[in-house]
Amino acid sequence: MLILLSAMALPVLGQDISPKEIVRKADEKFNGEKTSTAVMAMTIVRPTWERTIEFKNWTSGREYALTLITAPAKDKGQSFLKRQNEMWSWNPTISRLIKLPPSMMSQGWMGSDYTNDDILKESSVVNDYDHSIIGEEELDGRMCYKIKLVAKEDAAVIWGHQIRWIDKKDFLFLKSELYDEDAYLVRTETGSEIKIMDDRLIPTRIELIPTEEEDQMTIIEIKEIEFNAPIEESFFSQQNMKRVR
Amino acid sequence: MNNLKLAWRNLWRNRRRTLITSASIFFAVFFALVMRSIQLGSYDHMYKNAIESYTGYIQVQHKDFWDEKIVDNTFAYDQHLEQQLLADKNVESTIPRFESFALASNGPQTKGVLVMGVDPEKEKHLSNVSDKMVKYRLSPEAIEKIQLDPDQPEKVKELAVLFENSAYTSNSRLQLDLGIDDKKASELMPAIEAHTASKNGSIHMGEPGVWVGDKLSQYLQLGIGDTIVLISQGYHATTAAGKYEIKGIVKIPLPDIDNKIVYLPLDICQGLFNAEGNLTSLALAVNDNGDKDIAQTVQRISALIPEDQRVMEWREMNEVMVSQMDADDKGGQIMLGILYLVIAFGVFGTVLMLTAERKREFGVLVAIGMQKKKLASIMTMEMLFIGLIGILAGALVASMVILYGVEHPIIFKGETAKIFEEYGMEPKMAFWNIDTYYIWQMVIVAFMVLLSIVYPMRKIFGMKVVNALRA
Repeated sequence: MLILLSAMALPVLGQDISPKEIVRKADEKFNGEKTSTAVMAMTIVRPTWERTIEFKNWTSGREYALTLITAPAKDKGQSFLKRQNEMWSWNPTISRLIKLPPSMMSQGWMGSDYTNDDILKESSVVNDYDHSIIGEEELDGRMCYKIKLVAKEDAAVIWGHQIRWIDKKDFLFLKSELYDEDAYLVRTETGSEIKIMDDRLIPTRIELIPTEEEDQMTIIEIKEIEFNAPIEESFFSQQNMKRVR
Repeated sequence: MNNLKLAWRNLWRNRRRTLITSASIFFAVFFALVMRSIQLGSYDHMYKNAIESYTGYIQVQHKDFWDEKIVDNTFAYDQHLEQQLLADKNVESTIPRFESFALASNGPQTKGVLVMGVDPEKEKHLSNVSDKMVKYRLSPEAIEKIQLDPDQPEKVKELAVLFENSAYTSNSRLQLDLGIDDKKASELMPAIEAHTASKNGSIHMGEPGVWVGDKLSQYLQLGIGDTIVLISQGYHATTAAGKYEIKGIVKIPLPDIDNKIVYLPLDICQGLFNAEGNLTSLALAVNDNGDKDIAQTVQRISALIPEDQRVMEWREMNEVMVSQMDADDKGGQIMLGILYLVIAFGVFGTVLMLTAERKREFGVLVAIGMQKKKLASIMTMEMLFIGLIGILAGALVASMVILYGVEHPIIFKGETAKIFEEYGMEPKMAFWNIDTYYIWQMVIVAFMVLLSIVYPMRKIFGMKVVNALRA
């Protein structure tokens, strides 16, 4: 009965789903419907050197996020907190809690190609953009929707438009091209090493390649991730930034 | 010889005319020389300040550091290379440095600062930061003590209030600002020094602690013993953050640097930026700093250093200042040109009148048998005498002023000093000692005199005796 139902539902999904719905599903798949707890490693690749930072990340909806650096030793203990539209950073070496101004949102996080905005997900790919399907393409043997996201006039986003490739079957972001207001390609992100993590199929390796910089990229690897485990709102507090392990 | 005697006597026949003409030449020479001396002196002073308190004459750097001053563009401090550099005959010592930018904060006060990691001992060969430590300060407490001191005259008390919070690296400047003359200094200064003394400590390699610029400390409202927090990006995009105790406050003569500098011991600074063992620059103290010596030294050193490093000299490193000075120099030369033009017309005017006045005299002389050639040569000698008197007198008086000025540069105080500092200059007007520029000014003025002789010559040779006699 179940099989029959899902077999009937599938073609319906395939045809009638709106582009916004596709993006929402993919976004939720990655960030969790309610919360997510992850252990990740970020490798910054530069022409003459590379460096890996390990961190833990807790999120609750779009409003709350907390990130704690766990390695290397020099950076360990630094934490970043997002509550609604505000972001703080805590540095244990100098015992200072610093509020990051909105002007710093587009700056690199921990020296990587990711911006503070990317890490904190200030803007929403679902609500801040108008979506349209512009085609279907095969990527790594997977059929993808090719969706164009155009930033809404009044949305506080740093991209002019985006093109995202979303897996048709599993709703995975496999590739994204991000363009600025002048429609120049600024960076490309690709998702690979698709694995089952906490019963979900997700890409566990994301490569970010800035267009302008040669031999430069940032790789994020998801080592562990847990979705929708209950996290109290009080977890995302300034006090907890200093305590969390 | 006779001609010479005649010319000399002619000069003093109309004393006033001679003196006025000489005086105009005197002033031309005097002003030109003093102006030039102050100009050259100020440039030299500013260069020296910039070089000696900051860049040094020569630096070895990572090849990309100058264009992109980030801590990734640093090089390993190599003892072997250092030995090779020290072997150069013009290199007196090498001064390792690690400089970068950081955000400094004290509670709500935050400011972008220049962080300099230095070896305080080695730095003595170049910038001598320890000499720039603030020794006296007219803090509100110090002023109160002066106010309550019954021995201090009212004037000193008034001036002390005017200079509230000023910092001094020497007692002579403090004495000047408080309007105490040398005679009373021995009587009044010891008490004032005791009231205003500032307790500065040193920074040492291996010990966390910083020196901050006087203006910066005032902006951040930090004093000795307080803690300053520094945040920046370190080597390979690590986080650089640290808090340090302020050991001392230094007053750098360049206000632009003074309001943003923080000195750290070299190794502590390298640790802060996670770049242990690396340098942003290796400054060289040299024995001879003439342009030619520097150029030759740069050439020799360039051959020694590895490919990823480069040698820079002070002109390149102070490009903005050098071009600023060049522009100012051109402006000064134009001013001199205008001065010369005015004086030249003055001299020519006098000569014109002189020739017209003596037309009849010339006519009579030629009529009674004097050769025009002889008359012309006497006239020339007269003019040369006038010129010589003016030039020599001008040079003599200017020399006295300049020689005094070299020893006692003009130091501005009070409001004027503040205006200078707002423009980023030290409130000091230095003189440049007597040098080749002297000869040039004198040659130019002499040339002006020679040019104005042309007119009487033409008059004499073109003279119609009959007409001249009737004049």
